[in-house]
Amino acid sequence: MTCSELQQVLPFIIESGGTAEEQAHLRECPSCASLVADLSYIAAQARSLLPMQEDPDPSVWEKIESRLKTEGLVTPGTPPDTDSVS
Amino acid sequence: MAEAKQTLVPGLSEAEAIERAKGGDAHSFAALYAMHKRRVYSLCLRMTGNTADAEDLTQEAFLQLYRKIGTFRGESAFSTWLHRMSVNVVLMRLRKKGLPEVSLEEMLEPQEDGPRKDVGGRDNVLAGALDRVNLERVIDGLPPGYRMIFVLHDIEGYEHNEIAEMMDCSIGNSKSQLHKARMKLRELLKQEKAGGELNGIRP
Repeated sequence: MTCSELQQVLPFIIESGGTAEEQAHLRECPSCASLVADLSYIAAQARSLLPMQEDPDPSVWEKIESRLKTEGLVTPGTPPDTDSVS
Repeated sequence: MAEAKQTLVPGLSEAEAIERAKGGDAHSFAALYAMHKRRVYSLCLRMTGNTADAEDLTQEAFLQLYRKIGTFRGESAFSTWLHRMSVNVVLMRLRKKGLPEVSLEEMLEPQEDGPRKDVGGRDNVLAGALDRVNLERVIDGLPPGYRMIFVLHDIEGYEHNEIAEMMDCSIGNSKSQLHKARMKLRELLKQEKAGGELNGIRP
């Protein structure tokens, strides 16, 4: 197996570890091995970046609420309950 | 996506809120916003890097949701459906701004650069050289198409089948683009590492 052949299946190696032949190439080729190590490392580090835990500013809902009224999407007589979202 | 299923308005489940919102119930619009605002905003913030744009896009994504909620039939999870709209809103905005974007065609082209460019043995591996601040900074430097798929999969934790639905592409495309995004990140991190080792000598 050549480096070029291995590169064609890199996503599958990162995902599933690769076949015996691919593993054998990785043991013999420091260049490909470091590539696989880096890509796995980047994926692992990214998983440690949690989704941001911030809420949008309350003014965002106020603008949405106002547009809902303007566009007639809200049934009259049911004022939006702003307390529940802020 | 446990957070998305959370009921923040007492006595109203997501399914009930969706049905009532179809009839224009204002409380249900508010409830759906409360349930999903954080995840939508998080995606917009990761994609734009600034709160003003992220808030603007969050507003646009929810307005689209409310305009189209009558067509929601439950074929996919509601959160996936909402995120599909958010992804579209964000990508549309980035296109309008004229930022370089990676098309689906581009991502299917053979890679031009591979590991041979940076053969260098053990000293060249990234492990240990990467902290969160570094990673967040280089993610911001990714072209929007790459950034979107990387953020959705590796950070927000969506599966390829969900991403394919959100981005309107095949699962194979989603996997391929994620791989290219990670390759690009590696390149950016290596550049950064090399710059750091020169200790500011570089311009």
